[in-house]
Amino acid sequence: MLELLSLTPILKGLIVLALAGVTFPITGVYLFRLNLLPLRFMLMHGAILGGAMALALQINPFWTTIAVNLVLVVFMARSSRSMKIDAGQISTFFMVISISLAFIFIYKFNVPAKDTLTLLWGNLFILSWAEVIGVGSFAVLLAGFQFYFRHQLRALFFDREIAYTSGIDEGKLYYAVVFLVAITVALAMKLIGALLLDAILLLPPVIASFHARSLKGMILGSAMWGGIFSIGGFLLSIAIDIPASSSIAALASVVFIVMYLMRRK
Amino acid sequence: MEHSLVVTRNNITIFTSDQHWLHPLFELEDFLNRNSILPNELFLRDKIAGKAAACLIVFLGIRRCHIELLSERAIPVFKANGIEFTYDTLVDHIQCRTEDLITDAMSIADAYLFLRKRAGRVQGLAVKLVDVRVQIAGTLIVDHLNLDLGRGEQLIVHGANGTGKTTLLRAILGLTPFEGSIRIGDFVVGGADWKKQRSSIAYVHQESMKSNFPISAGEVVQIGLGTSRMSGTETEYRVELAMRRTGCFHLFRQAYSTLSGGEKQRISLARCLCQNAGVFLLDEPTSFLDQQGKEDLLILLDELSRNEAPTMILVSHELQWIEQLNWTSRELKGGILC
Repeated sequence: MLELLSLTPILKGLIVLALAGVTFPITGVYLFRLNLLPLRFMLMHGAILGGAMALALQINPFWTTIAVNLVLVVFMARSSRSMKIDAGQISTFFMVISISLAFIFIYKFNVPAKDTLTLLWGNLFILSWAEVIGVGSFAVLLAGFQFYFRHQLRALFFDREIAYTSGIDEGKLYYAVVFLVAITVALAMKLIGALLLDAILLLPPVIASFHARSLKGMILGSAMWGGIFSIGGFLLSIAIDIPASSSIAALASVVFIVMYLMRRK
Repeated sequence: MEHSLVVTRNNITIFTSDQHWLHPLFELEDFLNRNSILPNELFLRDKIAGKAAACLIVFLGIRRCHIELLSERAIPVFKANGIEFTYDTLVDHIQCRTEDLITDAMSIADAYLFLRKRAGRVQGLAVKLVDVRVQIAGTLIVDHLNLDLGRGEQLIVHGANGTGKTTLLRAILGLTPFEGSIRIGDFVVGGADWKKQRSSIAYVHQESMKSNFPISAGEVVQIGLGTSRMSGTETEYRVELAMRRTGCFHLFRQAYSTLSGGEKQRISLARCLCQNAGVFLLDEPTSFLDQQGKEDLLILLDELSRNEAPTMILVSHELQWIEQLNWTSRELKGGILC
């Protein structure tokens, strides 16, 4: 196994997955607490649109999917505020429009649909060093954001109106959270694919919530489980020769079942 | 320069003030508290004293005094409380509106609270609503409503469900758009500085009572500190002080979601105190409380109104309970306060 790690693509995959595994579940906590689960469907479809655009225009799909998701989030946030509609609801509209645009690009630019849909299962082993640095920088940014704004985030997650009345700029904080979620989903899709990103994004906070008594406990628990799933799943995939994303998701699911049964007892 | 107030202990001057009206006596109160001085050993010399000053002197625990110009209305107060007093000149009354406002029905403690509010020595801020209209989805909920609450005053707004009580509170908070003007102290709700000043209003509503968010009681109280940057020690001190004040410090480490309705209300009020807010808006605070919880809340609100004295607006439809609070009560009907 150590011989495999000496191969640059595999080493890069492990580094990125470890960083993502520890930090990305933080946004899973955000998604749960702000009831933004539908938002992640919009972002998944946005990533497919980004992939289709990148292939059609022959530009970098990694950065394009991130850019498309950020644009979608800006539109979603503006419409949610001006139309006074829940962000989760309005994201359904953007989900539909982005997938329709994706197929228009695929059709008009003769993009092979199969290539676009590779985003659904991701590819961990074709990352450039720029992308590795990009993911690493984002992981640091995410952890830093959580640490610096921990008190404000706690208030926001407890009760948005109480956060507002205690002087916290909950509007800006909310949109910062949504932006971070958008980038996380785009990156997680690139790493382990749309179909399995919940294993790294949502299962860690769900398991952490079984025992957490505070936001700190939730964040640390999620980071711990995310790290275990990503690194453990990665090593497992090498050991038994299965796709990394599948082994991560399988490991997360087994741990979830065990923890759930233990909790019931 | 001759001082307006001089206080001596064993013929040694320990306190002087050159302020006017009742302010020297309030300054004396601060001085005594700061230095833990027993007031019964002191001798006080004041330039002028009416009934209001007499009530304050009694409240402070001073036993002996000399007044240069004394109002006859002060004498029954001194006599009833066993104060040894002398004077140079006695007059029928002194030209002071405050003296007229102290009624015989008021106890010394009531008079003290009244005078504190009048002197602006309470946590509360004035609340003034002028011609406020709130429309939601084309329906007029609040219709040209006017309200003027002084510092540290309390008001109960009652009315049937759906009359707009919560909407009124949300307008005061700046959460619901409105026409007209709402002022909290010196600030206009929704004005240029409002973002920085909105923590002057603390809000207790029922949604947070249902929260299953993993958070400890102490952390909920800490939310009141908002964006203030302070050391860990200072933060702990502020949280502990607020929790002790509302009798819930023993719940500090407990998960909020496991607390009873009454305990959650104590935590909410501790959060408001921690926020150091001048106005408390309480929306149906009895909703999730059993009989004991309601009685505890009654006592706590009464204590708050006497000590920190924030300006409080409480919205409720439980007439039987609100009657016991003995606060001014007005019904919201047809969009206006009756």
